[in-house]
Amino acid sequence: MKKTEMTNQFCEAARVAGAEIHTPPDAREAARLIAVGAGGPVLVPAFPSGDRIGFGQLLRDAGCEVWDRDFRRQGAAATAGVTGANFALARTGTLVLESTAEDIRLASTLPEKHFVLLDPRKIVADHQAAVPQLRLFSRRGPRGFVAWITGPSRTADIERVLTIGVHGPRELHVLLLDGLSDDPLES
Amino acid sequence: MGKQRTHQYKERIDQALAAPGLQDALHRFGDAFLIAREKAFAGLDLEGLRESIADMKDDVRRQHDRYLAEFVANAQAAGATVFFARDAAAANAYIANLAREKNVRLAAKSKSMVSEETHLNHALEDAGIKAVETDLGEWIIQLAGQRPSHMVMPAIHMFKEEVADLFSRETKREEPADIPHLVKVARERLRRTYLEADMGITGANMAVAETGDLVLVTNEGNARLVATLPRIHVALVGTEKLVPTLEDAARVVEVLPKNATGQPITSYVTWIRGAVPCDDGDKELHIVLLDNGRSALAESPICRDALRCIRCGACANVCPVYQTVGGHVFGYIYIGAIGIILTAFYHGLDNAAEIVRACIGCRACVAVCPSKIDLESIILHLREVIGEEEGIGAGKSLVFKKVMRNRKLFHSLLRAGAKLQKPVTKGERTIRHLPLFFSSLTEWRTLPALADKPLRDLWKDIPQKVDNPRYRVAFFAGCLNDFVYPELGLDLVKVLNRLGVEVLFPLEQNCCGVPALYSGDRESAVAMAEQNVAAMLEGNPDFVVTTCPTCTMALERDFVEHLKDNPVWAEKAEHLAAITMDVARLIVEKLDGGQALPAKSSGEKVTYHDSCHLKRGAGVWEEPRQLIQSSGNELVEMAHADRCCGFGGSYSFTSHPTVARRILEDKLQDIQKSGAACVAMDCPGCMMQIRGGIEKQEQPVRVVHTIELLARNLD
Repeated sequence: MKKTEMTNQFCEAARVAGAEIHTPPDAREAARLIAVGAGGPVLVPAFPSGDRIGFGQLLRDAGCEVWDRDFRRQGAAATAGVTGANFALARTGTLVLESTAEDIRLASTLPEKHFVLLDPRKIVADHQAAVPQLRLFSRRGPRGFVAWITGPSRTADIERVLTIGVHGPRELHVLLLDGLSDDPLES
Repeated sequence: MGKQRTHQYKERIDQALAAPGLQDALHRFGDAFLIAREKAFAGLDLEGLRESIADMKDDVRRQHDRYLAEFVANAQAAGATVFFARDAAAANAYIANLAREKNVRLAAKSKSMVSEETHLNHALEDAGIKAVETDLGEWIIQLAGQRPSHMVMPAIHMFKEEVADLFSRETKREEPADIPHLVKVARERLRRTYLEADMGITGANMAVAETGDLVLVTNEGNARLVATLPRIHVALVGTEKLVPTLEDAARVVEVLPKNATGQPITSYVTWIRGAVPCDDGDKELHIVLLDNGRSALAESPICRDALRCIRCGACANVCPVYQTVGGHVFGYIYIGAIGIILTAFYHGLDNAAEIVRACIGCRACVAVCPSKIDLESIILHLREVIGEEEGIGAGKSLVFKKVMRNRKLFHSLLRAGAKLQKPVTKGERTIRHLPLFFSSLTEWRTLPALADKPLRDLWKDIPQKVDNPRYRVAFFAGCLNDFVYPELGLDLVKVLNRLGVEVLFPLEQNCCGVPALYSGDRESAVAMAEQNVAAMLEGNPDFVVTTCPTCTMALERDFVEHLKDNPVWAEKAEHLAAITMDVARLIVEKLDGGQALPAKSSGEKVTYHDSCHLKRGAGVWEEPRQLIQSSGNELVEMAHADRCCGFGGSYSFTSHPTVARRILEDKLQDIQKSGAACVAMDCPGCMMQIRGGIEKQEQPVRVVHTIELLARNLD
């Protein structure tokens, strides 16, 4: 994978925020990495860039137990969730995930681990660079739920000691994968 | 009522001062915050961001109806139900009725200061609905039956052992006081709440007019679950959270986490637009927009900037009073400097009456505020209002109105005082002990005696050694310089003469009026402003110089404000403001940086204490450091050089002496740790406080005004 300056900046900031960055050579390897890392059943909601390459099947091939429906009932028992990303912000290492579809929200909030597939072409500079995309989301449909995700869930509410993984995922894994999609309107 | 209230307030102060570990925790947090904040903003145009947020918020206030209508239309088009609540009771009633109507038994809440403001949990409880806080800090204080002591970190006053006890009671098993373990307990315990709740209640950090989005800025991830899992979502939002566009919202997201906790960004920023899918159908989204005093705040020209607040909580983080007593004393529901103002408007003057006096006036909050709110000025104004409503105390009122406004009487009394004090001072320059009920005032610092002769009586005998002066400069001495430290005036003349300046002393000058203003007596302050403007401009000086930064602020800022609507005085006050400056700035800016002064290497290590009103009022802090070094001293910086010394005028004498004493102890520790043999400063008030503390502790450190250091080289 060719690393641009923007990609480097994203990786550095995301790592500082506590995310783990992976650069698998291809989708099959990415699936294998998740299968090993998840350590249990995985929620895999529908998302266009993953669906196009049959990522659910690749995960199954890698030995993963893939759950793709009934997330409300099953979410608590899954150990990981897998989603794409619409785009990302280099300066803060932030993933932007349009998660109006409830399954995407549940896969990225309930399990302890969240794996995100990101095409590095989708990395933009910063907050202000995100605004035109947010505006496109709002024009596409009147209702929406957009999540900016930077690192794992955290708290410092007891004695100001930073503790990772309170209500959201304890682990956030970003898998940089070339050729997935360069369209910020899809995840 | 007032007396009992004051008594209870003082008890709370004593309890807070006695609480083990609290001050240490808040001090450490304040230090770590400033370092993290600076790092987070590195490379960004912080001043530009602050200005753009202030401008944007002012625009929202001015065009409030327009943006509100735009937001409501967009939110409704996206399927939200919007309710406008005039006050807390209306908001609570709406939410409680909705819950009853929809058979809600359990509501999961994420952190919302507005719900604290309305006491929503009590209202829901009264309606038979259980509300469970899911933010870790909020859950802790809910279990403890307390209220938040910080807007961003509600349980910052508690320790892990206390949390372990609370959790053990909740889980009915022994939970060890291990932070990762306790966090895990919260995760497991509250997960059921999200899944079982019929209603999720959140606040919002912003409401975007352009799109109808609600924006939630969070770290734990609970708000995402609260907004996703229950079928009903209620967002309780103060109307001041409106922002016009997505660009504006992105800018607030840029600033808020950095200024709140020093994080570049929070783990989650969630943008919710309308009734999103939920299970097999659509979510029921209710947006409750709360006024509750906000429109009244918008109507107050002096206080309305408080509506710019984005609730970062930084004004508390850096506040020496907050760091000393915590948010349960220095706040009501909202805490810290902004809390004083919001309490007055959202919870009534009575609830603000004590805490409005708790501000020491150091302006640390003003310097850190991301929306450029002049919190101190607004607090001073509220103090005036409360002074008018409740009186400022008969004794004080008499002093300001009958004595200080009459300069001759005030000054004759001070002269008489210099004679009457002899039995206490025993002829020495400091008072080490005071008799009877005054004794607590000299328990922790000595106090200077009034000088035998005030500067005004010495003036005619002070030789002015200057031919063909470059400038004629009028000296505004201020009470402390005139009646307590006249020697500073002699040094000033010596130094300025050497720089080719003739110094005038207008005898009609009076107290600058700040003590009256700080006590809430604006009328006397205005009367004294008129006297002083007339006196100081009398000889048509080139500049007016001061050695007291509080006086400088009065001349540079307050007089203009006091007299701006007065056709006779407004222009004169403006002129006086334009030519007034602190002596260090005068030397550096107008007198070639004092190059004509001799440098003598003293070999003495000098540390510098920034006086609050000099650095954050007059913007002077580099100048004295430059002079200390150019006159041949070695400058060593102490930690927290610009933290208040705890003087605050009557703050350390009558209103909050026990708090002032603790703040002084911090300062003395920093001075000692610097290893300096001498601490310099440019404020006679700070000198009184710091010298008094150092003498009482018998530390071998000299306490001087910068002008004394410069004059020493001329001997």
